[in-house]
Amino acid sequence: MSWFAGLLIGLREIREHKFRSFLTMLGVILGVASLLAMFALTAGIATSWRTTMQQMGGLERVGINDKEVSLEFADMKALSPGRTLTDAEALRSASELISHVAPEMQAGGTLSAPDGETINARIVGTWPDYLAVQQHVVKRGRFITGLDEERGTRVVVLGDAMVAGLWPTEHDSGGDFIGRVITINGRPFSVVGVLERYEREEDKRRAAAQAAGKSTGRLALAGGGSGGGGGGRRDPFRWKNESVIVPLSTFYHEFRSGQTNAPPLAMAKIDGLNFRVRDIARFDEALAEAGGILQQTRRGIDDYDFDTREDWFERMESSLRATKLSGGLIAGISLLVGGIGIANIMLASIAQRVRELGVRLAVGARRRDVFLQILAESTVIGVVGGLLGLGAGVLLLQLLGLVAPMDSPPVIEWSAVMISVGFATSVGVLSGLYPAWCASRLDPISALRYE
Amino acid sequence: MTVVEMRDVRKVYGTGPDPVAALDGVSLRIEPGEFVAITGSSGSGKSTLMHLVGCLDTATSGHVAIAGEDVSRAGSDRLARLRNRSIGFVFQAFNLLPRLDVQRNIELPLVYAGISAAERRERAREAAAKVNLTDRLTHRPSQLSGGQCQRVAVARALVNDPALLLADEPTGNLDSVNGADVLKLLSGLHELGRTVVLVTHDPAVAARAVRLIELSDGRIIKDTAS
Repeated sequence: MSWFAGLLIGLREIREHKFRSFLTMLGVILGVASLLAMFALTAGIATSWRTTMQQMGGLERVGINDKEVSLEFADMKALSPGRTLTDAEALRSASELISHVAPEMQAGGTLSAPDGETINARIVGTWPDYLAVQQHVVKRGRFITGLDEERGTRVVVLGDAMVAGLWPTEHDSGGDFIGRVITINGRPFSVVGVLERYEREEDKRRAAAQAAGKSTGRLALAGGGSGGGGGGRRDPFRWKNESVIVPLSTFYHEFRSGQTNAPPLAMAKIDGLNFRVRDIARFDEALAEAGGILQQTRRGIDDYDFDTREDWFERMESSLRATKLSGGLIAGISLLVGGIGIANIMLASIAQRVRELGVRLAVGARRRDVFLQILAESTVIGVVGGLLGLGAGVLLLQLLGLVAPMDSPPVIEWSAVMISVGFATSVGVLSGLYPAWCASRLDPISALRYE
Repeated sequence: MTVVEMRDVRKVYGTGPDPVAALDGVSLRIEPGEFVAITGSSGSGKSTLMHLVGCLDTATSGHVAIAGEDVSRAGSDRLARLRNRSIGFVFQAFNLLPRLDVQRNIELPLVYAGISAAERRERAREAAAKVNLTDRLTHRPSQLSGGQCQRVAVARALVNDPALLLADEPTGNLDSVNGADVLKLLSGLHELGRTVVLVTHDPAVAARAVRLIELSDGRIIKDTAS
């Protein structure tokens, strides 16, 4: 008898005892459902974290910070010029593995629109590469360009929150702000670009839900937090939305060089320096190369540090792993219980069918045929239970979504489906082994006599 | 080819200090085409003899050959194959599978012989024709009378074209009319050349056979052939 014939017998057996089979499968169904739901929830969290990460510059973004020099070099510290524009120039011209470099100068300032409000903001002077390094997206107009930088033109690119602050009513009605003139610390700048509004996925959904008019009390409450990121939770995009970006040279000439003893632009201290690695696969190489370049500009003094997102990413991954592990453990236990249930019912059903198995043995079934038949039955229960469990898992996720709207929508990945059904199948096979062995040890004579 | 050959067969149950010899030196030959009744009172050893002849068990000592094949020391797989190919069982309690229809019940031995579904159907139909049950193929055993059930069992026993038809008290669960009917069927098969062995405690049933073997205390006390 073939494995396939055994499967057919197993299927027929399940059809004959629908309710009993369903009860037998229940453990597997719940186990698979919770396994799938767990996978989908963690995948959802991972996806939204990765999106956030991407929006914040991704793994490729590396910052250069100042670092305390070690004691033995302390007296030489003054030899190093520190973080200056020279670093940025050197990285840009000498590095192969770095695609974009963006030095930053920052200052607090007052923005004022003649036809609008006056607000306080943080002004950033930087290079055009800033767009790529910080993963900004221009919604209207253009970003600052090399020409702006060269000429020191008074142009500014504004984040969405700034536009909203300057022209609150027009912002909501979707006015055009390109070409308007505002003053920054009293100096006129013309707005050449407006940036995209950056939002987390969950905020976008909330906004959409509210727009659709479905806002229940709960949604409205949660939605309150999304307005400008003011709510209880920290909005990772707040600083991006509050951008006020001008060319670095303009910034220097307008806001820095007026100070006494101002150094030339190239030697001016900068407040931030970020770059973007060309190829993430050569991340470490790129850091080494950048380190070599900085050794030169810093005159051999080790007073800098790379600020990478790897640690953050690592932490995120490990917390995801922990979530998966605990969820997987619970799902695993319920699958185990399901397996014990199958084994139990199979043993009972064998006891009920001793006579039938005796007849099969009498007409020529070998021990392995009986073994296969019982194993096929439990396997079919496992597989069918697994498939039903998938459906139950999807329902469970929808139910969860209704009862408690999630920050990150669950994502059902193919691999999760495969693993869940695979687990259910193995549970079916494993839990059938012992009953099948018992059945295959039956003595045909006593089995035929069994009442 | 001798269908059943036994020489000095012993079957002992239990290994303790007081083993029971269910068969104590049995020798017999059954040739093709014979119609043999094995009788004896309860405890005479006729059931044990039937189990050995039916390849459901092996002897403790002595030589047993079924359909020309020595099974004295055969393992469970070889016994299963012999039961499948060379022996057709008819039981007192019919032993049909209640959840399968008549067609599938008759097919059962062929499933384990690895025969294709199409050929199984064909041969089950032929076997059903031999017992006049072609109009009941889609019925379940519970929808049939006792006599019909036993005829299905006979069809199942015949479907593999076995060397030996082994009937264990085939009339035990039937009324006299149906019992006579089944006996007539077996006689008819014998007349067509089948080798039939009938195990019974009922002298009237045994009388339908051509040759009579009577057992008592594990020994053959009467064999009308010798």
